[in-house]
Amino acid sequence: MNPRGAIALVARREIVERGRQRSFVVSTVVTLVIIALVAVLPGVIGGGGPERYRVGVVGEASPPVAEAATAAAKRFEVEIEPQRVADRAAAERALEADDLDAAIIDGRTLLSRDSPPDELEQALQAGAQRAGSVSVLRERGLSPTAIERALSPPALATRTLEEAGAGDERRFVALAAVLLLYVQLLTYGLWVAAGVVEEKASRVVEILLAAIRPRELLAGKVIGLGLLGLAQLLLVVAVGAGLALASGTLEVEASALSTIGVVLLWFPLGYALYASMYAAAGALVSRQEDLQSSSGPLTLIVIASYLVSFQAIDDPSGGLARIASLVPFTAPLVQPVRLVTGEGSLVSALAAVAIIAITTLVIVRVAATIYERAVLRTGKPVRLREALRGPDGS
Amino acid sequence: MLELEGLTRRYGSVTALDGLSFNVPEGTMYGFVGPNGSGKTTAMRIVLGVLEPDSGAVRWRGAPIDAAGRRRFGYMPEERGLYPKMRVADQLAYMARLHGFEAAAAGASADRLIERLGLSERGDARVEELSLGNQQRVQLGAALAHEPELLVLDEPFSGLDPDGVDVLASVLRERVDAGVAVVFSSHQLELVERLCDAVAIIARGHLVASGSVAELRDREARRVLRVEVEGAPGGWADGIDGVLGVEHDGDALLVGLTESADDQLVLEAARRAGRVRHFGPVRATLAEVFRETVAP
Repeated sequence: MNPRGAIALVARREIVERGRQRSFVVSTVVTLVIIALVAVLPGVIGGGGPERYRVGVVGEASPPVAEAATAAAKRFEVEIEPQRVADRAAAERALEADDLDAAIIDGRTLLSRDSPPDELEQALQAGAQRAGSVSVLRERGLSPTAIERALSPPALATRTLEEAGAGDERRFVALAAVLLLYVQLLTYGLWVAAGVVEEKASRVVEILLAAIRPRELLAGKVIGLGLLGLAQLLLVVAVGAGLALASGTLEVEASALSTIGVVLLWFPLGYALYASMYAAAGALVSRQEDLQSSSGPLTLIVIASYLVSFQAIDDPSGGLARIASLVPFTAPLVQPVRLVTGEGSLVSALAAVAIIAITTLVIVRVAATIYERAVLRTGKPVRLREALRGPDGS
Repeated sequence: MLELEGLTRRYGSVTALDGLSFNVPEGTMYGFVGPNGSGKTTAMRIVLGVLEPDSGAVRWRGAPIDAAGRRRFGYMPEERGLYPKMRVADQLAYMARLHGFEAAAAGASADRLIERLGLSERGDARVEELSLGNQQRVQLGAALAHEPELLVLDEPFSGLDPDGVDVLASVLRERVDAGVAVVFSSHQLELVERLCDAVAIIARGHLVASGSVAELRDREARRVLRVEVEGAPGGWADGIDGVLGVEHDGDALLVGLTESADDQLVLEAARRAGRVRHFGPVRATLAEVFRETVAP
């Protein structure tokens, strides 16, 4: 059997056995539920349309103001529902009873119980200005079309020097992407480490190594779990993006879709780097209880990278984000942020890919050596320096 | 034939193997015995390629062993090892596949072994759900799954009940009859004596005795005689050249000889003393041979 055959066999076992485990099934379902809630809730609750206000209209001069305000309301993200009210006293009673949010008295006064919401006041003021302008222009004998032209000049078209961000939406996508990547890197890295320890603790590794080489066993385990992680990520992203688009949390936007590809791309890179280190950490110990101490430093690096990437979401063009996007350990989490927020560049991404790839190659070699030297040593944890120094162990 | 030649292996300042050599012919059940720490496990790990020797060589059918050759070996390590959460049938099939079996053949082999090892009801059980004795049967199955040419078993009988010993022994005998070379280590010397065709005894990392069980027992036998002389006076054997000591055993006398003693001198003395009813070597048990040979 060639090495590829051995690696494929080991990878297949990892996928089948891990996929069967209840912990995997449960974690997948829980992640899907969380993603579904995150994707759907903002569209259902937060984006429940503009606020609606009931505005009393008192006196002959008021209806034009109310009409103009209703027309302008959309600009201020409110909706106005005008109601005719007989007189000021009736309007006051309705305000007291909370049947009205505000009232326009004789086209001159804005009456409310306490200070009205800003956007409502702005909409009503705009309405008053427009109604005032219309009546002045009409007195000057302008035709309705001329008045309309005078009062609705074409708005300024907006252009920005930097790419326009649909800011919040991109932030949301970046947050979700980083969170997913972080959880996936940490979970699957730890699974690799725990799998290595399981083989050591159960001593099955001795039989396996009588049949295949340590590197084949290591590669098969990392690749198998990696594929499983990628498949889970695909499922979660597909469900999340699909629901977010369907529920209106995200507007369909090419960049949002390309983000999915970006996230999926950075997982294998980051995973290869971290998983090989986690495998070495697992090989150093013989019991699951000892794993925490040997893998702790790695987990700290993952968490630190996550925090850095969070900072990068707030300031994607800052110095920290720029540097972190090229450091191999933080790049897999920070690069997606910069790309999603439009701060990244192809050059920077390619540089990061190259840096991660080179680092991974070096680390895979070192990790495989540690693994080979430590994996048959049982009993007390093997010290890293011992494993690196050379073969005099049993 | 499996040949171990001059195997040496040190762990730091400890010498585990010190020029160990012996041969295991095919179609032979071969016992590998020695006190704790004498290097048995190290030697077996080297044969399986799990460890590298510092010097010396292992050959199978006259050629050095490479990775492909090792896949035709079966191994049961002293530290038992199976995936605790994997199902028995899956586990055996996986082992067969790791050793080069195609999927269908691996499945068939797993099914056969489950049946043969008396685990028919347990094929779908996870290994961790089985009793220790049954786990050991699965462990043997893992070594046999790919129908190896050579079986190396480290203490395969330890921890088995008599029924388990019988099943394992008969399975191994079948393999031997099919031409497989089986070598196993054990501390249960009566078992080794009963099951094995040949034995290697090692101590302090090197071979101290080897050969067929009968040969070994006879070799020791030359040194103790059982003599029964009717009407002989006490002390008739005293002072004979080469006699180390005597011991009464009922009506008979056990006479211990030096390596170079001539047993015919004892016979002549016995005839002078009276009527010789019995004269012959005492066949040592393997346990006695073991104690004699490994004593420092």
